[in-house]
Amino acid sequence: MAETGEPSIEGFRCADCGAIMIDQPMACRACTSRTPPQAFRVGERGRIVTWSTVLRSFPGVKTPFVSAIVDLDDGLTLKGTVRGVDPESLGVGLPVSLVFDDAGGARAPDGAPYVGFHFVKAGAAE
Amino acid sequence: MSDVYVVGADLIRFGRYPDRTPAQLGAEAALLALDDAGLTVRDLDIVYASSTFNAASMIGQQILKQIGQTGIPCVNVSNACASGATAFREAFVAIKSGLYDVALAVGAEKNPKGLLGGPIGDGPSPEGLFGSGTTPAMFAEAGMIHAGKYGTTMEQFAQVAVKNHHHSTMNSKAMYQRETPLEEVLASEMIATPLTKLMCSANVDGAAAAILVSEKKARELGLSRAVRVRGSALASDPYEPRNPVLLDADSVTRLAVSKAYEMAGVGPNDLDLVELHDCFATAEILHYENLGLCGDGEAGALIDSGATALGGRIPVNVSGGLLSKGHPIGATGIANIVEIVMHLRGEAGARQVQGARLGLAHVLGFSSVAGVAGVHILEKA
Repeated sequence: MAETGEPSIEGFRCADCGAIMIDQPMACRACTSRTPPQAFRVGERGRIVTWSTVLRSFPGVKTPFVSAIVDLDDGLTLKGTVRGVDPESLGVGLPVSLVFDDAGGARAPDGAPYVGFHFVKAGAAE
Repeated sequence: MSDVYVVGADLIRFGRYPDRTPAQLGAEAALLALDDAGLTVRDLDIVYASSTFNAASMIGQQILKQIGQTGIPCVNVSNACASGATAFREAFVAIKSGLYDVALAVGAEKNPKGLLGGPIGDGPSPEGLFGSGTTPAMFAEAGMIHAGKYGTTMEQFAQVAVKNHHHSTMNSKAMYQRETPLEEVLASEMIATPLTKLMCSANVDGAAAAILVSEKKARELGLSRAVRVRGSALASDPYEPRNPVLLDADSVTRLAVSKAYEMAGVGPNDLDLVELHDCFATAEILHYENLGLCGDGEAGALIDSGATALGGRIPVNVSGGLLSKGHPIGATGIANIVEIVMHLRGEAGARQVQGARLGLAHVLGFSSVAGVAGVHILEKA
């Protein structure tokens, strides 16, 4: 979350081998370099790697929904829910855009809102 | 270093045991394996006890409280779905080191009901908001990659369940012993596309045990029913760019199996049967290729050919597998070794793989953040 309140997603990249990871380990997971991978801001466009329409989940979770793995154009891989699409129209390589949301309206114990995200078909407004 | 032999192996019937503790289930399996070996608890030098959900309760010592507190060392193991294979491997290492002559590897589990796993930590549950973290969804997504890359069909995934449910009709220790034709598998409740309920492992309680001994002890007991451990490997998930966001069942399995083949000095074409980790039908398809039973992209054709059914070129999961025999998490990695041992001895009854001399047992374990694979290769002594 930037000071302006604008949300963004960070990945971490190893300066020695270029490997990208979703969180910051103490040393690079790929090359073991002791220089911790550094944060970089990723863009909001990517492509679907795989997906599944989930019809049964943990108790209390509303189904169905589409779970997908997305490779962002900047190299980071994210898991997310794809909204507003007919599952039949999904395919490997389908371009999608990341949209920030309010994480279902959940609030922290101190009342602060959470920031979440989901994916939509690239070009689709939501 | 001396070879390591399995001289006792057995399991209890997998099912639900609401009135019994995990340690009681493990103790029953341990006694069955000791009886099978013609040994008593007094012959044991060390115990490795696996239970994914109960290792922290010192399940190994609890088992000894059921069958005899002889004071021997006991190591409790939790390593996701590879817990049993880890306990077996540690017993192998202990014998191989020369420190001990007789080791018990025992796995016991009472699985929680329903979908395993679930939200952890603070904040809103990520499930549904950020995709799905259920195990069926993860293996559905892994299977859909195979489908996208090679054209693997829903029917080919479903045929894995048809085959393994058929196999378990010949296994009196399996949870299910009922044929499930293709139409029934496809028509059962859809959990996460392409996985229907009958393509997900049976969530059960169970226990299995094996007695491992040194060459000296094996010769003392007689080698007629002994099985030699030819290869043992355990691997943690290596770095892959999408890991752990995308469950990577492949690289960790390939790492473990290549080490096991190397240790055994054999390859996939030398195997007579395989028990692999079919936690979901999609997983079995992936592992045909991961274990080298066919080339990359050929797994769909392999299941269609019937080669992996009993009577085929390389029967896979003739026990019924996790899909039908059942998947009591911490016992699974020992139960699949017990199955291999039965075939190598020629004691598997109606589902016997004729003339079996070499078999492989594989497990894959993972959490939302990490993975593990274990592979053992066993040979008729």
